Amino acid sequence: MSFRLRQVDTTATGREIVRERMIEGNVLTIGRSAENDIAIPDLAVEQHHVRVTAEGRALTFEAMGTLGFTLNGRTRQLETDDDGSAELVLGAYRLDFAAGPDGEFEVTLRKREQREGGKGDGTHGFTLASALPGKRPVAWVLLVAIFLAFLAIPIWSFTHRERVKPDPDKPGQVLMDASWTPGALSTAHHKLEGNCESCHTDAFVAVRDEACLTCHQTIGDHAARPKLTLARGPMSWGDQLQREVADVFHKPGAGACTDCHTEHEGEGRMKPPAQKFCADCHGTMDDRLKTPLGNASDFGKVHPGFQAAVLTQPGQEKAQRVALSAHPKTFNGIKFPHALHLRPGGGPSRMAMRLGARAGYGKPLDCASCHKPTKDGLRFQPVVMETSCGSCHSLVYDRSGGNFRTLPHGDIGKMRAALAGADRAPRRPIASGRRRPGEYAPGGLYYGNFAPPQRASVPLASRMLSVGGVCSECHYPGGNGVLPVTQPARYMSNGWFDHADHKKEKCATCHAASQSSSASDLLLPDIKTCRTCHLGEDAKKPKVASSCAMCHSYHPRGSLPPVEIGNTQRKVAMSRPPDRPQGP
Amino acid sequence: MATLAPEKAGRPTDHESFLVHKRFRWLWIAVLLCIAAGVGYAYADVKPRPNGGSWYGYTLGTIALLLIVWLSLLGVRKRAMTEGRWSLKAWTSAHVYLGLSLVVIATLHTGFQLGWNIHTLAYALMMLVIASGLYGITVYAKLPEKLSNNRGEMSKRQMVESLAALDRQLDAAAQPLAREESDRVIAALEQDPFRAGVLARLTNSYPGCRTARALKDFARDHELDAHEQRVAGLLHKRAAQLAQIRRQMQLRALLDVWLYVHIPATVALLGALTAHVVSVFFYW
Repeated sequence: MSFRLRQVDTTATGREIVRERMIEGNVLTIGRSAENDIAIPDLAVEQHHVRVTAEGRALTFEAMGTLGFTLNGRTRQLETDDDGSAELVLGAYRLDFAAGPDGEFEVTLRKREQREGGKGDGTHGFTLASALPGKRPVAWVLLVAIFLAFLAIPIWSFTHRERVKPDPDKPGQVLMDASWTPGALSTAHHKLEGNCESCHTDAFVAVRDEACLTCHQTIGDHAARPKLTLARGPMSWGDQLQREVADVFHKPGAGACTDCHTEHEGEGRMKPPAQKFCADCHGTMDDRLKTPLGNASDFGKVHPGFQAAVLTQPGQEKAQRVALSAHPKTFNGIKFPHALHLRPGGGPSRMAMRLGARAGYGKPLDCASCHKPTKDGLRFQPVVMETSCGSCHSLVYDRSGGNFRTLPHGDIGKMRAALAGADRAPRRPIASGRRRPGEYAPGGLYYGNFAPPQRASVPLASRMLSVGGVCSECHYPGGNGVLPVTQPARYMSNGWFDHADHKKEKCATCHAASQSSSASDLLLPDIKTCRTCHLGEDAKKPKVASSCAMCHSYHPRGSLPPVEIGNTQRKVAMSRPPDRPQGP
Repeated sequence: MATLAPEKAGRPTDHESFLVHKRFRWLWIAVLLCIAAGVGYAYADVKPRPNGGSWYGYTLGTIALLLIVWLSLLGVRKRAMTEGRWSLKAWTSAHVYLGLSLVVIATLHTGFQLGWNIHTLAYALMMLVIASGLYGITVYAKLPEKLSNNRGEMSKRQMVESLAALDRQLDAAAQPLAREESDRVIAALEQDPFRAGVLARLTNSYPGCRTARALKDFARDHELDAHEQRVAGLLHKRAAQLAQIRRQMQLRALLDVWLYVHIPATVALLGALTAHVVSVFFYW
């Protein structure tokens, strides 16, 4: 067992001088003292620092004093190396051990270079910073990209755009402003998506009414301006505060389009304005305005009873609004007891059953037997005498051969003409060709006519039209013939009701026809009936939350329905003049 | 920094984590803020639906904006340490809890209306910043111990030097080797252990490690002579040392990576927030 020591010294010129000597034995001592097998002239090294013991190929390093040593880069006090390969660092010196053949260990001693770990202390590579771009550059790049894409480009293209009249069919000129949209536009304004500048015409200026009126030129106002302003109620402190903040930011004043109509609320139909926008004025309007209108702020709580436009007197031409709560009577020129016709087992019902399905009946009469809905299901067509009444109330007045003659209905002149031209000859008996025998035959001695006395079979028009005549069964005689019958299409000119939306409900829920024995009964439901389902905007299911816009329109829409409800497509006034309200 | 236990039993210390600072003072403040925002959201009369552009939306938005600006000032604040009421610890505690409260406040501000726009970009960036911060707190609470365990008693410098020592020995020991074997050693020695990408560091996965490959090649040769055995032994040591270094790099990467998201995303968020606010008032 021996150690071959190779001591490498470097001259000032960089030349290496290698001195070799053999150290016999299996123990090697290293230290500053000259007594050691290897003496290292370094103050950082102890006099007796390390003892190395060789055993086979294994080397055991042992610190002699309290100071440890660096073996293979680690600070140690005692360490055994099994394969005889190790690097020992003591102060400024390095000793490389390598097990050679024949139990000989080669030890190379050399002074360490100043820095063996490479640049710095070589630990920079541990951090993530060595593998990633710095945080600052990344942050700057992101910041600049965001400013460019989402601020610079839209603002520049906005200020440099050509001012044109908004055209929904053309894309907008401002670039990248789609990224500014806070939500999709409603179906009505969908075409303006991407054409932001058509409404947002000026930078930092809230959308003005003029922008809306560019397209909605003819939309009417609710009432004259001074009246509108007068009607507006005092604001709550919250609304007042909101108004003041809005004023700071130059939001358009109260009554602006955007007050009630908010956009960018997502696809689909524009949401109806909240009832508070109506209640602001109508809730306590009688305090400020002299008005026939009752206060209304919530359909379920504060809403005047219904007033129907009805004709109450024969000969009346203009409908008159009467409160339904007073159970008013109407005069529509017809005598028609609903109860009689609807009673199961009653005469008319039995008649209907006898007429059978082929004639369109076959079962007891119900509402639908006479009342047919309009195409859109909204209302009902006028009842037509010929098809609805005529099956039973026949107007046949004559028979000629196998043909029946029917009186023309609805036109007194034609009726009179038809009757005047009728054949009034008494009817001959039916010629059977058979005769009685002998003197019993006509002309014979014992002839006797036992048939009922023959009359003129066709009555006179005057008789028909007079009291007790056939016409007066249903009509009131008057004037030249009978009084005209009116069948109003609408009773509520300022509210809206859609029968199609109430299809699931039975007619009798609202119309007490089966208890009405006179056509003068106004079979319209009062507000109580509506309220069994419909309550105000905040109503919870199963009640139907009903804001004002369900039945009313702020902008005058004439006979058009309010925009909000239903599935049917209802257009908002654009360039078309609004239909003026019509009579009932 | 973020040890969750403020005191060891029976021995009071000065150290108190910023998380438990003043008995979770800022946690309570943040929770109250969130509850207030939630209650306001439930009762605010906003029609037709909750919206960032309603009065309540603007209120929440203003609060969130001020919070974000203040939170991002931690970067400035932390460079000036002070004690007392507004100590950096108090500031950090508030930073964490108020930052978390933004999840509630800003989400309510959106009215749950999200889309492909600058507004949602700002919201997404904010959530990214918060998520990365949350991750940062978690790893700060857990990883330093592991980092310390992995290091043993070695400093990073010692790890590097140990590897260098092994490399020198390998270089010397490989002198008698034939060309092919020498090339394996050269390949292993030439590979810089710190030339590792983010993914390799985070996953601690180095399929291209040439030390491992050289070891595999030596293991395939069944008859190794004494020199080759020695080199293989040294390569084993090198691999072990590399493993420690790489584990260290992984832990450091896991510990640091959130800041590489948190900081740039914060700056990007400030940009997006500016664009968000400007765009809202531009198209007023």
